[in-house]
Amino acid sequence: MKRRHEQKLVILSIVLFLCFNVPIILIFDINYAFFGIPILYFSIFSFWALSIIISYIVLKKHYE
Amino acid sequence: MAEKKSENKWVNHPLVYSLSIAVYCTAWTYYGSVGIAAESGISFLPIYLGPVIAVPLWIIAMRKIIRISKQNKISSIADFISLRYGNHRFLGALVTIISVLGIVPYISLQLKAISESFEILTNTSHSLTHNIFYDTTFYIAVILALFAAFYGTQKTDASEKHRGIVVSAAFESIVKLVFFLVIGVYVTFYLFDGTQDIYDRISKTENFEKLISFNGLESGFNWLFMIMLSFMAIFLLPRQFQVSVVENLRERHLKHTIWFFPLYLLLFNFFVIFIAWGGKLNLGETANAEYFALLLPLQNGNTFLALLVFLGGFSAVISMVVVSTLALSTMLSNNLIIPYGYLSKFSKADPEKNTNNIKTIRRISIFSLIILAFLFYRSFSIELSLYAIGLISFVIIAQLGPSFFFGLVWKRGSARASIVGIIIGFLFTFYTLILPFTIQSLTESTFFVENGPFGIALLKPYSLLGVDFLSPPAHAFFWSMLFNTITFLVVSISFRGNYRERNYAELFIDNKNYSSLQDNAFVWKGEAYVSNIKNVLNKFLGTERTERALDLFFRKYDLPKDTEKADARLINFSEKLLTGSIGSASAKILISNVIKEEEISLIEVLKILEESKENISHNKNLQEKSKELTQLTDQLKNANNELIFKDKQKDDFLDTVAHEIKTPLTGIRAATELLIDDEDEMPSELKQKFLNNILQDSDRLSRMINNILDFEKLTTDRISLDSKTHNLKKSIEKTIESLMHIANQNNISIDFSQIKDVEMRYDEDRIIQVITNLISNAMKFCDKANGKIFITNKIAGNEVEVCVTDNGKGIPMEDINYIFDKFYQSKNQNTKKPEGSGLGLAISKQIIEKHQGKIWVENIKNSGARFVFKLPLNN
Repeated sequence: MKRRHEQKLVILSIVLFLCFNVPIILIFDINYAFFGIPILYFSIFSFWALSIIISYIVLKKHYE
Repeated sequence: MAEKKSENKWVNHPLVYSLSIAVYCTAWTYYGSVGIAAESGISFLPIYLGPVIAVPLWIIAMRKIIRISKQNKISSIADFISLRYGNHRFLGALVTIISVLGIVPYISLQLKAISESFEILTNTSHSLTHNIFYDTTFYIAVILALFAAFYGTQKTDASEKHRGIVVSAAFESIVKLVFFLVIGVYVTFYLFDGTQDIYDRISKTENFEKLISFNGLESGFNWLFMIMLSFMAIFLLPRQFQVSVVENLRERHLKHTIWFFPLYLLLFNFFVIFIAWGGKLNLGETANAEYFALLLPLQNGNTFLALLVFLGGFSAVISMVVVSTLALSTMLSNNLIIPYGYLSKFSKADPEKNTNNIKTIRRISIFSLIILAFLFYRSFSIELSLYAIGLISFVIIAQLGPSFFFGLVWKRGSARASIVGIIIGFLFTFYTLILPFTIQSLTESTFFVENGPFGIALLKPYSLLGVDFLSPPAHAFFWSMLFNTITFLVVSISFRGNYRERNYAELFIDNKNYSSLQDNAFVWKGEAYVSNIKNVLNKFLGTERTERALDLFFRKYDLPKDTEKADARLINFSEKLLTGSIGSASAKILISNVIKEEEISLIEVLKILEESKENISHNKNLQEKSKELTQLTDQLKNANNELIFKDKQKDDFLDTVAHEIKTPLTGIRAATELLIDDEDEMPSELKQKFLNNILQDSDRLSRMINNILDFEKLTTDRISLDSKTHNLKKSIEKTIESLMHIANQNNISIDFSQIKDVEMRYDEDRIIQVITNLISNAMKFCDKANGKIFITNKIAGNEVEVCVTDNGKGIPMEDINYIFDKFYQSKNQNTKKPEGSGLGLAISKQIIEKHQGKIWVENIKNSGARFVFKLPLNN
């Protein structure tokens, strides 16, 4: 895997760290629910799922 | 046994590796998360968010760790850390002790979960009898201990893979996830009417908002510290190191793990809140929330489902206990027991006995670990929640973090610093986390927690120096990590480094550069004999394996078999060989007993390493150089061949020219002779004819000489173009006009009806020369009986293209590349003798190139050749 593509995953990790922490996480701290899933949980699960998809694509494309 | 099936394909599937890493999810996840979700809301999540953040980094970090471990036959986290700091015996032992202290409560958590879930399932109430023999947990613990002790210790080389254990851990990971999902779906969609239904009902209860919100900025710190804690745990937990590093078969399995493991965790966590809320709604506040997953199906009479849930929890426990104790027993034997006690005994005994001894040590370690965990459970765990016990374990294990992570990136970190840092960090953890609950459960007084020791409020264990907004684990993590890290950094830079330490530091951190050096990367000076080293190896590996290994070594480095003196490479090689069986610390001690090492300075070590690195890059450079040279030679050869060819062409040309000049000259001479000899008798018509012949021949002669001069001028740049604006159509027509009578004589039709008007700048005389050349060439080669020549032009972008096409045989493939070369005459000219000088096309090429254009030829299938030239429009 080329350095550049490895660094995509490193940046993903940094972005996840920021999204999962104060203050960004507080943006989603709303008393409301989406299909019965409170927004706070919903947003965390969404970031989580998104990161899985991104790593899957990056690895699928660039891992030799 | 499964160990033997390791050749099977599916056993080596990357998914097995990914699933085995899910040994991270234990009873704590299985039961504990629901408890937290029901009681305090969102805080069960950070334990999984840390790994989710960490796993993408594995593409760099884990790969490096795996590479280093494979190269050095590392078999545990204790080996890894102690080897990084110069194969330090005490550091390895310290890491082992910390790990045991951290993992014993963790195993007790599993025992607690098993015993409590078993009670719920069998509907017996747990009465804490003082006689442990009436306690079912005791029997569960003993059975588990026996199972783990014999299952995990079938090989002495701990760096070898335990495929059976990994495969069953992977299988158990499937079981626990599937059963947890089943209960999740059951609660959400069978007991309730989907997620919306649960939410609507639970949101009407009191204090619900607390469960779905962040509860302020202060808990943001708790949250952050818990994420950092679990981030470290996924690297440092001995069982995680075991499955992700030691048991890794191929580096490329990471490709799948990096996305699969977070997915596994996501699936595991999705239904947690719904099970928790469903339990709260149906079972009320009094029931133990940790076992909602069991209680809910039991309440509704679904005993079978409850049994499945129990089995899921049980498999989570089994895999955790087996893998953890396997990892810990290796550490205990290789890093604590053997180097600190059994080494001298081992070096006297025979190999078979040693192997058995090592196995026995590991078995006893596993057994006593589980029994220790049982005792911990009996004394402390009963009052603590699963979540609380798990976090205590994590905080203790996290003390290895600074040494581990800095060790991977910072060369100056030292063993001394690592030891002091870990001890100080542990002392803080002990004071702020372990001591309070110990005192509480021993004396049943909360005075220490509430008022601090001797009533000093600043020293209150849960709010040291008045930091009172953190939860106890986060608080302990913060203080211990702060002092651990600072101590590590300060001590590291306060003392000069040790050369051995620095040697390994370079190896670990610059792994990519040193991996090609292999055994050469180990710097050592002194005196050693192969026979002595062989003796040591024999003791542990047996004669056969030793011979085989040494044979391989000698062959690899191209050394004679009867080498007497051992070098650094052999010493490093033998240490690695022994490391698997008895750990790196013991291996170092054993080998250093039979060799005489000289002290080297740090600077010297760095110099030697630098040199061997340079040697390698030197070799690489040399290889590249020789490759370049070969290429150059090839090029020279080609050039030479070309020169020979050109030379031959020139000779041919001179022949042709000489012949050509000779022919008209002979004609002139013969005619002149005749005219002189028979001047009087010759009729005047005949005389006229001879004179005409002489004129023609001298014309031809001068044309040829002009051509040669012309070409010479063009190639040596002694000519400048006289470019003016002309109409290309008119120039072409002019050319054709002058050639028309020759065409008519030879029955050739020239079609130029398609020519378009183009105004552009060029040297008209020169371009006419080119067109003349091309047309005469075409006339020479076109069909004899029915010759046809087409002339067209077109504008393509910024260029004008002129094509002259004939209907001859086309150009033979072997000529196509040379046809524009000077002196070149096609071998297959269909005329009896070559006409022209062989310079026409060469001159044309020069002219076109002077106009910044291009000229080339192409064959048209079955219908002759096409000469094309291209001129730029705004020249």
